[in-house]
Amino acid sequence: MIVPMKKVSLACMKEDRAAVLKALQKAGVLMLTRVEDGVPSGGEASANLRRMDVLLRRLKPYRKKRSLLEGLPEVEEAAFDQAGEEGIPYAGRAEELLAQRDALEKELAGKRAEADALRPWQALSAPLEDFAEGPYAVNAAGSVPARLAPLAEETLRRCGAAWETVGEDPRRTRFAVSCLKEAAEELFSALKDLEWEEAAFPKEQGTAAAVLARLELETAALSAQLSQTEEALRALAEEAETEFSLLYEQYRAANEREETPLGETLETVYLEGWARADRTDRLEAAVCKASGGVYSLALRDPAKGETPPTATKNNRIVSQFENITDMFSSPDYREPDPNPVMAPWYWLIFGLMMGDAGYGLMMAVLILLGKKLLRPSGTVAQLMNVMLYSSVTTMLCGVVFGSYFGETWNPLWFSPMDDPVAMLIFTLVIGVFHIFTGMICKMVQNVKQGRVWDAVFDQAAWMVLILGLGMLFLPALQAVGAALATAGALVVLFTAGREKKGFLGKAAGGLVGLYGITSYLSDILSYSRILALSLATGVVGMVMNMLAGMIQGNPIGWIFSLAIYVVGHVFNLALGLLSAYVHDCRLQYIEFYGKFFEGGGVPFRPFAIRTNQIRIRK
Amino acid sequence: MSGISIAIMGAAVCAALAGCGSALGVMAAGKAAAGVTSEKPELFGRMLVLQALPGTQGIYGFLTAVLIMVRIGVLGGSPAELTEAQGWAMFWAALPMAVVGLISGIAQGLTAASAIHMTGRQPDASGKGITMTALVETYAILALLTSILLVYGIAL
Repeated sequence: MIVPMKKVSLACMKEDRAAVLKALQKAGVLMLTRVEDGVPSGGEASANLRRMDVLLRRLKPYRKKRSLLEGLPEVEEAAFDQAGEEGIPYAGRAEELLAQRDALEKELAGKRAEADALRPWQALSAPLEDFAEGPYAVNAAGSVPARLAPLAEETLRRCGAAWETVGEDPRRTRFAVSCLKEAAEELFSALKDLEWEEAAFPKEQGTAAAVLARLELETAALSAQLSQTEEALRALAEEAETEFSLLYEQYRAANEREETPLGETLETVYLEGWARADRTDRLEAAVCKASGGVYSLALRDPAKGETPPTATKNNRIVSQFENITDMFSSPDYREPDPNPVMAPWYWLIFGLMMGDAGYGLMMAVLILLGKKLLRPSGTVAQLMNVMLYSSVTTMLCGVVFGSYFGETWNPLWFSPMDDPVAMLIFTLVIGVFHIFTGMICKMVQNVKQGRVWDAVFDQAAWMVLILGLGMLFLPALQAVGAALATAGALVVLFTAGREKKGFLGKAAGGLVGLYGITSYLSDILSYSRILALSLATGVVGMVMNMLAGMIQGNPIGWIFSLAIYVVGHVFNLALGLLSAYVHDCRLQYIEFYGKFFEGGGVPFRPFAIRTNQIRIRK
Repeated sequence: MSGISIAIMGAAVCAALAGCGSALGVMAAGKAAAGVTSEKPELFGRMLVLQALPGTQGIYGFLTAVLIMVRIGVLGGSPAELTEAQGWAMFWAALPMAVVGLISGIAQGLTAASAIHMTGRQPDASGKGITMTALVETYAILALLTSILLVYGIAL
């Protein structure tokens, strides 16, 4: 059923704003609507959240990867309420370590670059500090492209410089040069034309080789320090794994509170929203406690033009199917909840589409195992439950149609593999009943809204017509069928145009209405997909068995055949589940909901704590 | 040509063309899914479902081929003596699945790619995307049924 909603107007003193919002968020019973001229309170949370976001992103390489089976870390609700005292020191320490790591990395990169620049000069005999301007002479080191080396030597000779070439690099020729101060200017300007690049030596004492050795020692020390820091980060990330996620989620929740715009007067703040009528006591209790009794809470029923959000409430089994409807569209607040009618049909059609006792058993076992290991929540849990329930119909259909892991064995009724036409007819009959259920829902709605004649002309007449057409296929009932079909068709012909003006309009409307038979036919034929999918599951399973059987000639073949059985049937099960899920949904959405369901509701999404890195234990 | 080889040709064409259709369709969807996943890795699960949808045509083609093989006794049994007319009948029976499998596989792949882009922008819309993509498959299913009913309907 659709839960009735109450419109909530709440006002409290300005100083209670934070406490009340926190209580509302924790209670998770109120869906806020936009308040005109609302102002968010602002605060530190958004900066904190940003800081934590950056920290977590940078910390990611050091955090342990969670395996899928582990699930999220759990935190007590009480721990979540304490505003982050536990996590803050850890976050500070992590930021410190990250800064240390960055500094070390930068220093290391500098040293490495220096060493790389110096390496070609290893053979230089003169100490580095000599390469400077002296009182009488200029010493310099630099290189020119190898192809220009002869020209450079020519220039050096012309200017009366002393030089030696250093190292053997096929691309660049390196020179250590010494010349008198007077000749320096001419020499270097000439060399510059030859693409001379002066070497930038670090300000160190000693020969290049000695400095390089020193640099390498320093790099090694720095790398050791760096890996120590990273180790410390890793240890910290592991030690405070939950605290980091917790702190992030706390800031996120706080940020959401601070960003919530509330209307303001001189002394008070106010907000509006929707709450489920059956949970207003929780809302009142939360507000009362947080505001110390100083508040004003007004509840009223939704007014005519308002669109309250939709929340559905069903028993434990049907509620698992609600997500299937919500994926199509949430029901409108003012229409009946289609879930209780849809759920049994979904359940039945899923079973027919899978239609194999062996696969049904596998589904049940695997899903129970999955629920145990993954402990899913939310829509994933709902989907798993839907499949778990459907494993029952799958097994039943498997027994009825005699399909066990793709092998046909003693069907209670008949085997679709041997008699696909019988199965085709059966699926179409199922389709007719499914569509009739949808039409009956529409009839009930029409009657409830006082449109009894609409129910008769638009639904009952069509049902009679379709039923009559169906009976034409049974020799015994042919006469009755013909009469029913004619009666139904006549009613449709004379009434479908009743809203149109003028005789011509009414006549045309009737003919167009009768033409609607094609859409009913295509809807019914659409159910043949049940046959196609059940055959697909069966035949692929059969092929897997055949393949495995082919290699069972010797013991090694037997072992391989086991692998084929396991991999093949799991693969087929996965494909079958996907197809059954998708096509069962389609039959509900288009063929079934098309008959009566309006949808277009806004899902009820209360202001609440929503975490995605931790799970809060209540 | 002997009847049996014509029938085998039908089975082969059916598995091959429908398989090609699915391969192309899954590729088109996969490319889109890879793009979305690179930006939003958390959507991988939904992407996988959407990408797998155009894969069914290949299965249907394969299914039809196997049913033909069983029917003419190539699988599990001794090959039946088919007249040329019976062989051709099998060939034509396989054709709806072959042709529709090829074309609808590609068409569904393109629809899936669009649905994937939509899901990338609005993760909550994945259900609608799945439904839109599944609508294309209806025609592959109708072709499969036609082929199956024909394969079973041919008197041998």
